Amino acid sequence: MSRLKWQAVVAGVGGQGVLFVSRALASAVEHKAGAILISEVHGMAQRGGAVVSHLKAGPFSGPLVSQGQADLVLALDPGEAVRNLGYLLPKGWLVVNAPDLDFLSPKAKKALASFGARVLTVPATALAGQAGTAKGANVVLLGAAAAAGALPVRPGELERAICQGQPPARARANRELLALGAQAAAEV
Amino acid sequence: MSSNAKVRKEILMGNQALGRGLVENGVAVMTAYPGTPSSEILPSVVHYGAEMQHPPYCEWSVNEKVAVEVALAAAYTGQRSAVAMKMVGLNVALDPVMSAAYIGVIGGMIIISADDPGPHSSQTEQDSRLLAHFAKLPVFDPDSPAMARDLVGPAFALSERFQIPVMIRPTLRVCHGRQNLNLREPKELERIPVFGRDPFRWAAIPKMRLALHHALNAKLTKIQDYVSKSKSLNQWHAPLRPRAPLGILASGMAAALARDVLDELGLPVAEGKVPFLQTAAPYPLPIGPVSELIAGCRNVLVLEETEPVLELLAPNRDRLWGRASGHVPSAGELTPEVLGEVLERALGQAKLKAPRPRGKVLTVPDQPPMRRPNLCPGCSHRAVFFSLRRALPTGIYPSDIGCYTLGMNQGAVDTCHDMGAAVTFASALSRGLNQGKDATPVVATIGDSTFFHSGTTGLINAVYNGARFVLVILDNETTSMTGMQPTPESGLTADGHPGQAVELKKLVEGCGVRWLTELDPYDMGGLQKTLKKAWRWCQGPEGSVAVIIARHACAAQRPTDAVPSPRKVEVKGQAAPAKTSFRPKENPCADCGRCVAICPAGALRRTGKGKIKVDEAKCTGCRLCAAVCPTGTMALEPAGACTACGLCSTWFACPALARDAQGYISIDRGWCVDCGLCVEVCAQGAIAPLEEQK
Repeated sequence: MSRLKWQAVVAGVGGQGVLFVSRALASAVEHKAGAILISEVHGMAQRGGAVVSHLKAGPFSGPLVSQGQADLVLALDPGEAVRNLGYLLPKGWLVVNAPDLDFLSPKAKKALASFGARVLTVPATALAGQAGTAKGANVVLLGAAAAAGALPVRPGELERAICQGQPPARARANRELLALGAQAAAEV
Repeated sequence: MSSNAKVRKEILMGNQALGRGLVENGVAVMTAYPGTPSSEILPSVVHYGAEMQHPPYCEWSVNEKVAVEVALAAAYTGQRSAVAMKMVGLNVALDPVMSAAYIGVIGGMIIISADDPGPHSSQTEQDSRLLAHFAKLPVFDPDSPAMARDLVGPAFALSERFQIPVMIRPTLRVCHGRQNLNLREPKELERIPVFGRDPFRWAAIPKMRLALHHALNAKLTKIQDYVSKSKSLNQWHAPLRPRAPLGILASGMAAALARDVLDELGLPVAEGKVPFLQTAAPYPLPIGPVSELIAGCRNVLVLEETEPVLELLAPNRDRLWGRASGHVPSAGELTPEVLGEVLERALGQAKLKAPRPRGKVLTVPDQPPMRRPNLCPGCSHRAVFFSLRRALPTGIYPSDIGCYTLGMNQGAVDTCHDMGAAVTFASALSRGLNQGKDATPVVATIGDSTFFHSGTTGLINAVYNGARFVLVILDNETTSMTGMQPTPESGLTADGHPGQAVELKKLVEGCGVRWLTELDPYDMGGLQKTLKKAWRWCQGPEGSVAVIIARHACAAQRPTDAVPSPRKVEVKGQAAPAKTSFRPKENPCADCGRCVAICPAGALRRTGKGKIKVDEAKCTGCRLCAAVCPTGTMALEPAGACTACGLCSTWFACPALARDAQGYISIDRGWCVDCGLCVEVCAQGAIAPLEEQK
């Protein structure tokens, strides 16, 4: 079996659970990739600043993704999506926590369209809020990404990676959030 | 306690990997002072040490100098010890570090100094490897969490073989990188500490120091030979090839990322087109392999962070491409983008074509503005900074290193230099600025942990030398910026061994301070009165340094203690602009200039004679001038609704106070923690608790 070689950039703002997402993705793809490298942000930036985490799964040496190389840019905040668009591969996936692409200026929208990347927008904060936990937007977005085929693993593998070892109530809540995301992805 | 021999695979952060490596190699004493990006190392030793029969002794030391000395003396007794800090902490610790090279150790000792190229969370981009060279200590430079863990064993071995402390220098991307690796079993050395009395060594006088210096030089020659011959410390990712036009010499994170970038350029190291030598031991320079590389290539590109070390130590420097030749930028992190440019240029100059140019990059216009970090909602520091500006608006505010540096967002931080400089800068500034008639209030702010670290010496100095300023100690009972490490005041220790609380008040009194008060800064009115009173006392005949200990629980660590009685607030509505009436006749103007300083429209100015003038055409009617006017000259009743004046967003700067395009404020419920402080902040009476509005 050829080893997976996959790179992702997860972006957001302090408190949105960026690090949770990159760690969840890492454990979901670990068995396929063998080697895992992640870069995280700690310290000053976590006080409400921009938080970005890079994930490289497979035969890599360093933890930072180069511009133009990410198979996935997953943004928990639309503004942070804009800031990190440069990481996208032309064949990559952009998954954003937003109802639509209107957070982009008309020029930026055009640039994105002609670049060729696949785009998935999900109002994850609103959906998680309806489920009673706005903080779960990150899990909703992950669920949508998996269902849309933006991840190199199946939704079930992602669910196992997230819920494994969690207390039953927490795991149940996360399963619900993942399902909400999957449903949203199916409606797009 | 587990003794199962089953291999455990875990995804570890670099700092956890270092902690794991220390436990796997029998560390018995571990000390540290927290600082990004090093803070998680010591807690990892505590965490993994719990698997041992006899867990190592771990302490959060009061500062890095103390931490080094405690670990050093433990190594004198034959135990394995380690100390961790961020690189600016190494500056604080340099005194004992320098001497440690001469005196040496018995048990192995590792000094971990974490660097921050970028810088992301630091004052400088300094390279600890240069300080290792300066101190004449061997240094290892890992490129990944796995390598960081794997270097701990060889570092202890080298340290014990040559009786010298060894430095490990990870950079932020190693410390806060994560990697999956196999855990090995913890090792128990069970060495009984013995102090072999030898005053000629442990208390060497200058004459003996010369002999020790000769001995150190001899050691370094042997160490150079040792690292030179090591296959594991020097990796040929691509071997030498005949008449190679370009070779690469690299260490640390730059070596790892350069391999990935070469891969992206279509020149993977495995194909061996460009000889690539990575050394994990930049000093003393592994002269054998490095000379071999340089002799075998027309030019050699040197990739290392953040300063030239390999580049300065290597022979035949005229053939090196690095910082001196302008091939590598002399400041900033070597990110994949920077390395991509550096490598493409070097390959081009060497007439080697990269088969694949760097990938297409999507660039979009209209980038969002930079997101500034901010104090947490409910943070009591915000209340202190707001009160400072309200009580003593013409003051100068030296501050210090910690979360509260973010008081800059409120215009209440004028200096931030190094640990403890708030106190010393305040003493110098208050002397320089207050020789004339018009005294400028000087109010310094410093956090509790920073005060314990380096504030006391400055305070003793200020009291002794008769300085006059107000010092506010922001006591949130933890070291918040670096992840809530306990302070001496808590009496809690890193590994739970019995400690004793050191009372901040008594410590301040012990420094000779005669005006001292403790208060809760959530009472902003009380704090403002106290600040004014303190400054008046400073100026009086008996005046000296006045200290206010502002104590309130950290909103991130103990949110329910920080906001014990939540008050949900709402903005009452929006008020139309109303022109300020300027009434110098009824209420004479003191020409203090507070209104000029705060007017967001620039409608107020000082004339040549120092009088205040209102430009009615520019006035937007926000009423902010009336809010700050101490004499009632700018007379206008509070609107009882938001006037878009912007006082709360500029002086209070709470993330929960959202400002729309017209400047009107609303409460962002996603951020608000119901602390209720903004009720007092609003000069228009526009923000009120919800229940009062019903």
